[in-house]
Amino acid sequence: LSPSAGTGALAQWVLLELQGEVEPRQSGQLAGSLLGDLHYTCEGVPVLIVGHHILYGKVVQLEKPFAVLVKQGGASQPGPAGPHGRYTVTALIKTKLLFKTRPKPIITHVPKKV
Amino acid sequence: AAVRSRAEVDATLQTAKLNPAELLPAVHCLSFGPQAGGGECCLLQLEPGLCAELEAGRSLVIRGEKDEHAVLCSKDKTYDMKIADTSNMLLFVPGCKTPEELNADQASCNIIHSQIAGFSKNYWELRRCRPKLRKLRKLLMEDPYEGPDSQKDQASTFSKYTTEDLLSLIQASEEEILHQLQVIDACKIEGYWRILDFDYEIKLLNHVTQLIDSESWPLSKVPLCACLEELGSLEPREMIEHILLSYGRKYVDDGEVFFEMYEDKICRAIAQMLLQNAVKFNLSEFEEVWQQSVPEGMTTRLDQLQGLALVDKSSRPETIFLLKVEDLPEDNQERFNSLFGIREKWTEVDITPYIQDLCAEKQTVGALLTKYARSSMLNGVKVYNSRRPIS
Repeated sequence: LSPSAGTGALAQWVLLELQGEVEPRQSGQLAGSLLGDLHYTCEGVPVLIVGHHILYGKVVQLEKPFAVLVKQGGASQPGPAGPHGRYTVTALIKTKLLFKTRPKPIITHVPKKV
Repeated sequence: AAVRSRAEVDATLQTAKLNPAELLPAVHCLSFGPQAGGGECCLLQLEPGLCAELEAGRSLVIRGEKDEHAVLCSKDKTYDMKIADTSNMLLFVPGCKTPEELNADQASCNIIHSQIAGFSKNYWELRRCRPKLRKLRKLLMEDPYEGPDSQKDQASTFSKYTTEDLLSLIQASEEEILHQLQVIDACKIEGYWRILDFDYEIKLLNHVTQLIDSESWPLSKVPLCACLEELGSLEPREMIEHILLSYGRKYVDDGEVFFEMYEDKICRAIAQMLLQNAVKFNLSEFEEVWQQSVPEGMTTRLDQLQGLALVDKSSRPETIFLLKVEDLPEDNQERFNSLFGIREKWTEVDITPYIQDLCAEKQTVGALLTKYARSSMLNGVKVYNSRRPIS
């Protein structure tokens, strides 16, 4: 029943907030597949290239940080039904990269005029 | 999956028509980690103070049995947990650096391969709530302690509860639980938390008050040692000390332990003893008997009975009856329904002792009345009644 801090300092992770769904390119395995490249402009604006889209975002310091809880004991019965079970706090998240602007498609195939 | 190279990253930038000169040199290549789709990670939004507690190494605990709504407890506070949905996808990435961190660390790698640990469309939200402490009294009342001579205890098949047991069963923080145990005058007997059976409690109290009377001790200076000596043959010493602690303030004077007796609490206990024997009493008769029953030097007052008894000023003659707030429902709406079932219209003065404990942090009785009751005037006095028709 208890999320308890592990020994040692808690890791700091970052949250990426995107619109839409996350789907594997090849149906099936999500694990191991690439999402995209994350760059920052010199002004600190995050730029995410996902497939054929460019997403511009912003760095947001969270007013209410998140704790990442990892359920222990293997059997994954996630979420809303009830948080009953053992949890460990794995990390804290104080920053998020919010990508809300509509993605700009990347045009990769420009037919050559004959 | 193959690991992306700098060349591939640069090629993508070119295709995307982004100018590398306008970008920081480091890039994060994001991929999904091995556990990412498993749904074993979830997000918990932290209220102020909780983040600091976690960073200080303290634990948070989720409590609740299958039929209860889960609550989160820190060392001293309790929070309701609720799922919040967002329409967005939240991905959690370990080892992902912010622009400030990249700028600060000039030696950072050119390519950072980051694995997304998990993702979610929702997270747990917290809202501070009143600790759910009613259950504590309910559990301890399953088997009240009737004294060492009681046959019941030896043959008892009822559950008895240790501190650990209570921590796992009660939806409140440890501090809130320990504080409540003190408030209800629970005591530890053989490692288990017990509440005294009321008749036994009165018996112990009477031993003490009779001794105070026969020794002519001042009510503000009752010596512990003498009590233990004189009463030790009648009752266990731990019980004598417990009753003194429950009904008096302990202090040390010149190396000796004394108790300053709580006049109000003693008068209240005696009132309860008198009132529990009938449905209701003639008020003036009760007041007379009550004053005669309390120790010499104590003065009874009706305001000592707030949350314990209710006076009916509309009956002729006026009457008084036992109504204990602890016996009323814990839920706000149910509490108000119950009170309006007992009496149709209440003045604020009369109802306050019976709803005070419902107030959340920074909430007033007035706010509760506005929410759950409707006001009107009766004979020039403001009264409250139910918002809904009483069936």
